[in-house]
Amino acid sequence: MVTRSADSGLQHRWRLPYLWDLLRSLVDRDMKLTYKRSVLGVAWTLINPLLQLLVFAFVFQIVLPVKIPQYASYVFAGLLSWNWFQTALYQATGVIISSRSLIRQPRFPVAILPIVTVTTGLIHFMLALPILIAFLLIDGIQLTPVILFLPILQLLQFAFTVSCAYFLAALNVTFRDTQHTLGVILQLFFYLTPIFYDLKAIPKEYWYIYALNPMVHIVTSYRQILMWGVPPDWMAIAIIAGFTAILWPLGYWLFKRQSHRFVEEL
Amino acid sequence: MRHAITVSNLSKGFKRYHTGKPTTFMEAMLSGLRQMQPIEQFWALQDVSFNVAPGEMLGIIGHNGAGKSTLLQLIGGVGYPDKGKIQVRGRVGALLDLGAGFHGDLTGRENVLVTAIVAGLTESEVKQRFDSIVEFAELKQFIDSPVRTYSTGMQMRLAFSVAVHTCPKVLLVDEFLSVGDLSFQAKCLQRIAELKEKGCAIVLISHSAEQIQELCDRALWLRQGQVVAYGEPEVVAGQYISEMRSQTQQRTPNRPAQLTDSGAELRINENRFGSLEMEITNVKLLPLDTIESGESLCVEIEYNAPQAIKSPIFSIAISQEDGQTCLDINTLDMQVPMTIVQGKGNLKLQIERLDLKQGNYFVDVGIYEKDWAYAYDFHWHTYLLTVNSSYSNKGILAPPMRWEINTLPVLRDLSMIN
Repeated sequence: MVTRSADSGLQHRWRLPYLWDLLRSLVDRDMKLTYKRSVLGVAWTLINPLLQLLVFAFVFQIVLPVKIPQYASYVFAGLLSWNWFQTALYQATGVIISSRSLIRQPRFPVAILPIVTVTTGLIHFMLALPILIAFLLIDGIQLTPVILFLPILQLLQFAFTVSCAYFLAALNVTFRDTQHTLGVILQLFFYLTPIFYDLKAIPKEYWYIYALNPMVHIVTSYRQILMWGVPPDWMAIAIIAGFTAILWPLGYWLFKRQSHRFVEEL
Repeated sequence: MRHAITVSNLSKGFKRYHTGKPTTFMEAMLSGLRQMQPIEQFWALQDVSFNVAPGEMLGIIGHNGAGKSTLLQLIGGVGYPDKGKIQVRGRVGALLDLGAGFHGDLTGRENVLVTAIVAGLTESEVKQRFDSIVEFAELKQFIDSPVRTYSTGMQMRLAFSVAVHTCPKVLLVDEFLSVGDLSFQAKCLQRIAELKEKGCAIVLISHSAEQIQELCDRALWLRQGQVVAYGEPEVVAGQYISEMRSQTQQRTPNRPAQLTDSGAELRINENRFGSLEMEITNVKLLPLDTIESGESLCVEIEYNAPQAIKSPIFSIAISQEDGQTCLDINTLDMQVPMTIVQGKGNLKLQIERLDLKQGNYFVDVGIYEKDWAYAYDFHWHTYLLTVNSSYSNKGILAPPMRWEINTLPVLRDLSMIN
């Protein structure tokens, strides 16, 4: 029998097959809970971005026309990526508060909680992907092999979102309005990310500030590989990856500390 | 012997914050982060050491806030000790807030799957044990209905069943035995005994000294994070109970003797004990304080609580003059719902028949703090009850009874012949 001290006591929960089962069952539960009581069920995943697309198409093609070729594909690619980021980050921020009974379970690997939320978002993204491909084909876009970089981009966005979520969820324990504030900030950042307008419209003197938003590059990279058939901007991707590599362990440590503090003090 | 749990010199500190500590960004900005600093640190647990061997059951006793739950959480790996060490061998199961992890919209089946995996089983292990989990919970017909249609009892049965089917080597139990219906409790206790026999180490939290005495092999008494006593349950529980009595004496304020409305004299620390945060203003024995054996008796307690008191326990005992207790009951054990009590009021215990032998009895009445921590007001040997009977009796009971004598018919026949 192995002796475990307090510090290494969590080890037996770190068997990969177990964690995989845990992740799957929690994601499965999230999916079921989201759609259990709605008539349309999982179709909402598709209807929501389609309705958004419809509004943007109306406003920016008919009311205030902007000159972006293949506008439907352009907007839809942006929306899928952004919606994943926004929804997952927002939900994951409240995850410590809403998972009290899970965190109290002996040796529950708390760090999995934001990963569950972001994975659920990824599944919605994947479900909507065929619609995006359909738009691309209707818009007459030729799919090229660079589309195979898609998993790399998704992995990057996944890791970036989880890292941010660790910090924000930890902060939400101390300041309970973090989630609320985040909702407002995300709405602002929606406009500071090239979802429905052209990146080239950003004047050069603002670019250096504008480009600090990692989502600008992530959204653009999706379009590069899906629509324009060019490899993504590796430089930007490397910077975001490096940034995430520093952020993740820090956020992870903070998240674990705060989630234990949260259940201890109530 | 290899211990399943070894806790050595464990200390855990918490920071106490200003009551006005901002809880939102906006407040933090306005107060300029000044109040974010902790104002003091206190030890929730201090230098706690004990072992639990496989197959052993340790009871942890103490008042609310003594650090019992913190200790249980630390053993379960939630949070980190500030000093000292905790070693736990094998899978840890927990019976903490049973059923809290369930989602009402999911079916019993779906909930079992998630809960069991969360408790540490892999998916294939859950599938193997699924039928036996459902069978133990006696929920076969309902397993595919949403959990929101379950009664609380059903949810607890299911949660308990999942927890014990993870085959833990260490089981942490937080005061659950006081909830649920009796047959469920009995079943749980039996299951826990089975686990114990198989070598599972169990830690049980309770504030009931009797429960600890009854179930545990060892007991640990915590007061303000420190171990007061550790050892044989009888000894520890006995010490705990006598401490509670002296606590009550210490808390009893000085006050001149006073009379109740019906004329009984109350003298502090002689026949009256308690903090007097809540007072018994009068006790009436109805219809009279002299009854015939087998008649009904009503004990009416009039009380006054100047401040709101949460869930006090009312207790009534009838004892003989030599101290032999004939009846000792309270509102907590009889599950009389008590909420917050404030102001004046009264409470009656209606005894349908009192089948006591003839003699003089004392009716002792008390009001206690919701965890039995100390008495608010306890009147001891103040109210006299006299029971009359047409015959004398050397025991305690005098139930309705009669002799039946069957005369032998043979004798009668013989006399007829004569």
